[in-house]
Amino acid sequence: MSLEVRGLHAGYGRLPVLHGIDLDAADGELVAVIGANGAGKTTLLRALSGLLTATAGTVRLGDADVTGLGPERLARAGLAHVPENRLVFPSLSVDDNLVLGGYTRRRGPAAERSRARDRALALFPRLEPRMRQAAGTLSGGEQQMLAIARGLMAQPRVLVLDEPSVGLAPRLVGEIFSALGRLRDGGLTLVVVEQNARAAFAVADRAYVMDRGRVVLEGEPATLMSDPRVTAGFLGGGFAAEVPAPGPAAPRPSAPGDGGRR
Amino acid sequence: MTDLLQLLFAGLSQGAVYALIAIGFVAIFTVSGVINLAQGEFAALAGLVAISAAGGGMLLPAAAVLAVSTVAIVAVVMERLVIFPVRGMTTLVSLILTLGVSTGLKALMLLIYGPDAKGLEPLFPGAFDLAGVSIRYQELLILAVAGVVALAVYWFYEKTLAGKSLRACAEQPVAARLVGISLSRASLLSFLIAGCVGAIGGVLASPIYFTGWESGLTLGLKGFVAATLGGLVSVRGAVLGGLLLGVLENLTAGYISTGLRDAVAFFLLIVVLVARPSGIFGRHAEARV
Ligand SMILES: Nc1ncnc2c1ncn2[C@@H]1O[C@H](COP(=O)(O)OP(=O)(O)O)[C@@H](O)[C@H]1O
Ligand SMILES: [Mg+2]
Repeated sequence: MSLEVRGLHAGYGRLPVLHGIDLDAADGELVAVIGANGAGKTTLLRALSGLLTATAGTVRLGDADVTGLGPERLARAGLAHVPENRLVFPSLSVDDNLVLGGYTRRRGPAAERSRARDRALALFPRLEPRMRQAAGTLSGGEQQMLAIARGLMAQPRVLVLDEPSVGLAPRLVGEIFSALGRLRDGGLTLVVVEQNARAAFAVADRAYVMDRGRVVLEGEPATLMSDPRVTAGFLGGGFAAEVPAPGPAAPRPSAPGDGGRR
Repeated sequence: MTDLLQLLFAGLSQGAVYALIAIGFVAIFTVSGVINLAQGEFAALAGLVAISAAGGGMLLPAAAVLAVSTVAIVAVVMERLVIFPVRGMTTLVSLILTLGVSTGLKALMLLIYGPDAKGLEPLFPGAFDLAGVSIRYQELLILAVAGVVALAVYWFYEKTLAGKSLRACAEQPVAARLVGISLSRASLLSFLIAGCVGAIGGVLASPIYFTGWESGLTLGLKGFVAATLGGLVSVRGAVLGGLLLGVLENLTAGYISTGLRDAVAFFLLIVVLVARPSGIFGRHAEARV
C-alpha cells in the first residue's frame, strides 16, 4: 500500500516542528528519512501514526485519507509504527508482546495470527528461544527485533520505523536492515527514519533528508551519498560519519514512554 | 498460643477485605496514574445496597449480586463523567477529583440509607471451635471468596488478552496505543474491575464490621495502605499488603491496645514511604500489575 504525505504541519502545543512535509512511499518501496538530531524525524512518524494530530496537510494510505485518525484507527487501517527506543512491554514475555502486537487482529481468524507470528519469527529467529522470557531482559538488539516483530503482528501494509539502529553494534544493525530489505522484497511498504545514513542508504530505494522540520533533499541513496551537502554534513549532525561504535550491544532497559502521560 | 491463633485468623479475614480494596487501587493506578479516593466508598455503598436489599426480603446471594452490579455501574459512570473528560490527568488532579466523588457518594449514602451503621445478616451464621480458636463461618467465607477473586484477577492479568492489554497500558502507554489498544477503554475497564473487587470486599465485610455511610473512609485508607505496601502497582503485593495489615492490626489490638488498631496503618504507611517507596514486596520497579 502506498503512503502519501502532503504539506504536513505538526508540533507540540504551540511549538511548530514540521513545516510542510511532502513525502511519498510507493507500494513495496523502502524509503529512508535521514536528518540530524532534532530535525523532526520522530515528530514526522508520530504525526503519521496519529500520536500527534497534524495542524495542516494530508496523509493518505493507499486510496484512503487517514488524516487526523488516532493511532488505534491507523493501526487497523494498516499502518504499524515501531517507535523510537523500541518501547517493548518489559514485564510481559516475548510471546505476550507478539500477542499484543496482533491486538487489532484479535477478532480475525487464529490461523492468520499464527501465520503472522511464524513469519515474524522466521525473520528474527533469535527471538524463538526467548519466547517465555520477559521482554525487558532482552539485549538491545533483541528488543529492537521484538519491536519490529510486534509491529508485523498487526499484518500492516505500511511499516514506519524510528531509528532502529540506535545503540546497536554494526553486525546487529546489518542484521536488522537486511530484515527490512526482505520485508520490502515481500511487498511491504517501509519508511525508516535514521541518523545512521550509511546503514539506511545500503537498503533504501529512495531517501529524504530532513532539516529543521523540512525536507531539504530527496533522491536515490547513491546520488545523495555523493552529494557534497550530505557528505559535508552541513545539516548540523555530521551524520555521514556516524557509524556505530564496535562492541557488543549492551542490554538496555527500555526507555519510559515518550509522550505518555507519565 | 490460642490467643495468637485467634488474632492471626481474625487478622487474615479482615486483611482479605483490605486486599480486595487494595486490588482496586492497583487496577486503576497502573492504567492511568489515578489514585481513586472513592475506592472505599465503592465498598461501603455495596455493603449498604446489600443490607437494604436483604432487609427488603431479597435472598442474600441476590442482594450481593445487586450490590456488586450497582457499584460496578457507579464506577463506570464515574470514570466516564469525571476521569475520562480530563485531558492530561496527573495523580494530583486525580486526588482532587476522586475526593470530590467520594464526598458526593458519602452524601448520597447518608441521604438514602440514613446515618446509622448496620450489619448484613451473614450467609452462614454462627461459629465453630478449632483447637480452641473460635472461627466464624462468615470469616471463612470472606477468606474463601477473597481468595477466589484474587486468583481470578491474577489470572485475568496474566492469561487473558484484555488483562495483558491493561498491563501494556500500564508499562508503555505509547506503545500500547500503537498496537491499537484504546487507553480510554483500558481506563474504563480498570474502573469496572476496581468497582467489582471493592464491592465484593464491602459485601463480605458488612456482616462482621458493620457498614454506614462513613465506612468508606476507613476501608479506603486501609486498602490504600495495603496497596502502597505492595508498591501500588502489583496485585500480588496488594494482596500480601492487605493480609499483613489485617494481621498487624489485630495483633496490635490484642496485645497492646485496641485504641491503637487504626494507628497501625498510618505507622506502616510512613515506614514504607520513607524506607521503601516501591513497596516491601516489590521485585523490581518495572514489573507492574
Ligand atoms: N514531546 C515534545 N515536546 C516538545 N517538543 C518536542 C517534543 N519532542 C520533540 N520536540 C522538539 O521537536 C523538535 C524535533 O524533535 P524530533 O522530532 O524528536 O527530532 P528527531 O527525531 O529528528 O531527532 C526538537 O526541537 C525537539 O526539541
Ligand atoms: Mg528521533
